[in-house]
Amino acid sequence: MAAQAKHDWADDDDLDEITTELPPPQKIQNKDGSTTIIEYRLNDNGQKVKTTRRIRYITHREVVNPRVAERKSWAKFGASAKDGAGPMPDTTSVGENIIFRPSMNWRKDAKNEDKDPNAQAMKDKLKDKKVKCRICNGEHFTARCPYKDTMAPIGEAAGADVAAGMADDEQSGAAGVGAAGAGKKGSYVPPALRGAGGAAAGAGERMGGKYGERDDLATLRVTNVSEMAEEHELRDLFERFGRVTRVFLAKDRDTGMAKGFAFISFADRGDAVKACAKMDGFGFRHLILRVEFAKKAQ
Amino acid sequence: MRPILLSGHERALTQVKYNREGDLIFSTAKDQQICAWFAHNGERLGTYHGHQGAIWTVDVDPTSTIIASGSADNTIRLWEVKTGKLLKTWDFPTAVKRVEFNEDGTKLLGVTEKRMGHLGTIVVLDIKVDVEAEQSDEKALTIVCDESKATVAGWSYLSKYIIAGHEDGSVSQYDGKNGDLLYNLPVHELNQPITDLQWNHDRTYFITASKDKTAKLISAKDLEVFKTYVADTPLNSAVITPKKDYVILGGGQAAMDVTTTSARQGKFEARFYHKIFEEEIGRVRGHFGPLNTVAADPTGKGYASGGEDGYVRVHQFDKGYFDFMYEVERERQNKLAAQGAGN
Repeated sequence: MAAQAKHDWADDDDLDEITTELPPPQKIQNKDGSTTIIEYRLNDNGQKVKTTRRIRYITHREVVNPRVAERKSWAKFGASAKDGAGPMPDTTSVGENIIFRPSMNWRKDAKNEDKDPNAQAMKDKLKDKKVKCRICNGEHFTARCPYKDTMAPIGEAAGADVAAGMADDEQSGAAGVGAAGAGKKGSYVPPALRGAGGAAAGAGERMGGKYGERDDLATLRVTNVSEMAEEHELRDLFERFGRVTRVFLAKDRDTGMAKGFAFISFADRGDAVKACAKMDGFGFRHLILRVEFAKKAQ
Repeated sequence: MRPILLSGHERALTQVKYNREGDLIFSTAKDQQICAWFAHNGERLGTYHGHQGAIWTVDVDPTSTIIASGSADNTIRLWEVKTGKLLKTWDFPTAVKRVEFNEDGTKLLGVTEKRMGHLGTIVVLDIKVDVEAEQSDEKALTIVCDESKATVAGWSYLSKYIIAGHEDGSVSQYDGKNGDLLYNLPVHELNQPITDLQWNHDRTYFITASKDKTAKLISAKDLEVFKTYVADTPLNSAVITPKKDYVILGGGQAAMDVTTTSARQGKFEARFYHKIFEEEIGRVRGHFGPLNTVAADPTGKGYASGGEDGYVRVHQFDKGYFDFMYEVERERQNKLAAQGAGN
């Protein structure tokens, strides 16, 4: 009793481990056809290690030419006469994985890979920079901000509420820009947003668009478009409502398949409103289109 | 895809050949043995010993019973595939650069080097595809190439023609029976040797690779050039892939020129071109030296390449390889499918 009392509780485990024998390996047949093998061993530090392996054997059947099958059973000869069955590591090894996908513009793909060093340098440069949201100052990209639809960027607090509704309504959009332009005296206002009055601001806004003349107000965003869709099909669909000035169908560069969304610009906003109402929920190529007015590009 | 690396040779590869069923690969190199491999896992079946010099070429008969090899020791040898036994040796005055069986394996042609006052020749030997049979010593036919030596040669469909590629970049067509020269056309640039000549599956047309950095698809019947594939490096080998309409070109700067040119690495890649559209559609890297030889699996599932680096790399294609189609090809397929459904 006294001897036992001398043992610290912390030593107890160690004693146990030294005294216990390794349990015998177990083989368990699982219900799903696999086998579980549990083995025990002592590692270099004398610790007990339990290894559990689950193995499933899959028999792969292949029908081959009988002559090919016969050749597989041939005895080896020459320098390989002493080799056992299966590939020998001294003559046969497996190389690193090579990705080979034929492509018409593989040269461009390869070039992108070449550019990688630059991308790496850029990455290194930006490594210490923290991502900061312009809306809420959180650690995420502005585009991912949960408040992006309800709040304007911090610097534009004055026009915040109106700016949010900018794309939906011409009137408020123009006013919003006007407010943003006029509200912040002394701060830099990009040329696209400059202008004193509401009308001028509207004109400036239009010119500031990425594609110059594009009228975002009569542009519809169509989502849930089938992968197989073609631009001309969309044009046919939407032309019924009025003159379509532009159809843009996003396509995957490699596969040439549509990405699932498109933009349709109308010459007249009234037509766009009509098209939006009629085509939202329209069944096209086994998918149901979702049509809404495009948000203004930020 | 994960290539299988076969390192059975100590020196540069000279030729790699699949047998008809695509389950065996034979490789020759400048060391003095031939290796036979299983294509599916890269296991070495055996080696064939007996040559006393660099082995330039190997070919297997359609039944995979015997192989023939040509070597710098001025011999063509015949071996039993299964056991590695030497069956027959033919002696020549100069090195043998190329051997090829005809379609049924009853004839073998050999291309001999022009050297030491001997002109380059193409010889034809009658072969009995039987390991027990006594092979005849006689040459059935000897074609002397007095203008420019032949570097490569092969049998056309039905053994009707012998097609030879020459050192001066021309291709000639000989009658398969009597060896008369029927045509000789300069298809590649003058004095740029033709380095390889391989057939499509029915031997009606073939592809040549040349040091002039192009490969050409040529008709066997009238030597009409169908297609030209332009590469940016001298080519050592070209092959037509079965199943898919591609060609694979192998090349790279000659080993002796590598140090004399800029340090730019590479060009040691297998280049894939679309057979019809003549456009490059991809490359496969891996070798550390120029590719001396490429061979396509007759089942269309893979290809093997042998390089100056002494390795054979055996590739099994991924799904992406089989799926790739040009827009017009896809349209045609859809149309055919629609027609099939309509009927």
